[in-house]
Amino acid sequence: METSEVEILLVEDSPEDVELTLHALRQEKLANRIQVARDGEEALEFLFCRGPHNARSFEHPPRVVLLDLKLPKVDGMEVLREIKKDPRTQPIPVVILTASREESDMVEGYKLGVNGYVQKPVDFDRLREVVKGLGLYWLVVNEPPPHSAFRPR
Amino acid sequence: MSDGLDQLKEAYAAALEQYLSVGGEPPLHRAYEVGRQAVRAGLSVLDMASVHQEALVRVLVRTLTPEQSAEVARRAAAFFLECLSPFEMSQRGFQETISTLRQLNAELERQAAELAAVNKELEAFTCSVSHDLRAPLRHIDGFSRLLLDEYSEALPERARRYLSRVRDGTRRMGQMVDDLLNLTHVGRRDLDLRLTGLNSLVEEVLGDLRPETEGREVRWEIAELPFVECDPALMKQVFANLLGNAVKFTRPRPCAVIQVGTVMADDSAVIFVRDNGVGFSMKHAQKLFGVFQRLHRQEDFEGTGVGLATVERVIHKHGGRVWAEAELNKGATFYFTLGVPQSEGRENDVTVGGAVWKLAR
Repeated sequence: METSEVEILLVEDSPEDVELTLHALRQEKLANRIQVARDGEEALEFLFCRGPHNARSFEHPPRVVLLDLKLPKVDGMEVLREIKKDPRTQPIPVVILTASREESDMVEGYKLGVNGYVQKPVDFDRLREVVKGLGLYWLVVNEPPPHSAFRPR
Repeated sequence: MSDGLDQLKEAYAAALEQYLSVGGEPPLHRAYEVGRQAVRAGLSVLDMASVHQEALVRVLVRTLTPEQSAEVARRAAAFFLECLSPFEMSQRGFQETISTLRQLNAELERQAAELAAVNKELEAFTCSVSHDLRAPLRHIDGFSRLLLDEYSEALPERARRYLSRVRDGTRRMGQMVDDLLNLTHVGRRDLDLRLTGLNSLVEEVLGDLRPETEGREVRWEIAELPFVECDPALMKQVFANLLGNAVKFTRPRPCAVIQVGTVMADDSAVIFVRDNGVGFSMKHAQKLFGVFQRLHRQEDFEGTGVGLATVERVIHKHGGRVWAEAELNKGATFYFTLGVPQSEGRENDVTVGGAVWKLAR
């Protein structure tokens, strides 16, 4: 897979949720280049070009990271913290996509600098709407951070 | 001075004399003990000083040698140093009280820690309900939907019907999980009290209910409601549930009439929501506010049975009361108060249309 052109990094441990989300994204023909990370460690390896992804370059960050919170090994909040504290990854838009609507999660997420917080609806039709909206916004409407945004000040 | 105190004073003098004469642990203990009793019974500083002086003089008079006198003086110094002053004596009482208080405090702290642990467990449970139970529901809903979307034509009519039953069940369970979570949030939340015009909350709810009243004839009769100090987000939920129910249960009526107003009961103002809907039998009234309790069949009137439980929780949090009156097929009226009515007006009470509203503290 040509990882340098990844548009969406989907961090999600549930295979069912991965399949449903991919189905919704593909149905809308919004993204063909989706990288899936099944736990927080895998997500960090991808974003920080480590381990199996050491051939990747920081030059080509994903347009958006869709991040579940409850993940094996390294949880979503920790992944978010790592992304937002490193100048090489800090500008990458991250949207928390989770089942939790716990206020404490929202507060912590926003304090860490998350770019969006979306609750996964139970209803698949609504989930489809939500995923379509996210794809449209981050891949079509939003201007991605320019390269210079990734340089340390 | 009462007889009891006199006796105590004498007993104190005797105990002190005994200690000063013979020394030793038990007499010392007894002198302390009786002295403390006398102080508790009201022995004054001056009286105590004279008891000490007289006892010391009496004992010294009986001593034969300078060595004996020195020994008495040593005992007196030890005793008086320890508890000469009645303040010291009463401080001993305080110390006992303080140590009892400390014990009680430790017990309370232990209970508080236990409660906090239980609360934390409950929170963890809520969190896992919100996250873990939703996920499989989403999967059932998602994949059954995909099955219908992509293989509908290959499925016989009956299989499609079964599938749609699966999906109805999922949707209902999803709604129940959401409603239950909301109920838990209401319970955990701290009240955010603000002076709020109840009419504005009712107006907001009416706006939200518009899609449900579309194509129906509904006559709203909204009276002037007071401004009260309440948590507006929670009070909006109260009106959303009560007015939503009124809209739902008047559905069979050609013209629904829904009233919101105030009445006086037992000297305090009460807010009511009345409808001319299908009502219910008062036989079942005690079940009304229970979680998952429903008085109607799902196919007649949809719902999860959490709405009125939420209403009751919000009203109780505000220190109020909620109850209902109804008759089968003749409509229902829900009443509620906010805060405990008091007999005297206070600065913060709000007067509307002659009714004084006692505010929740």
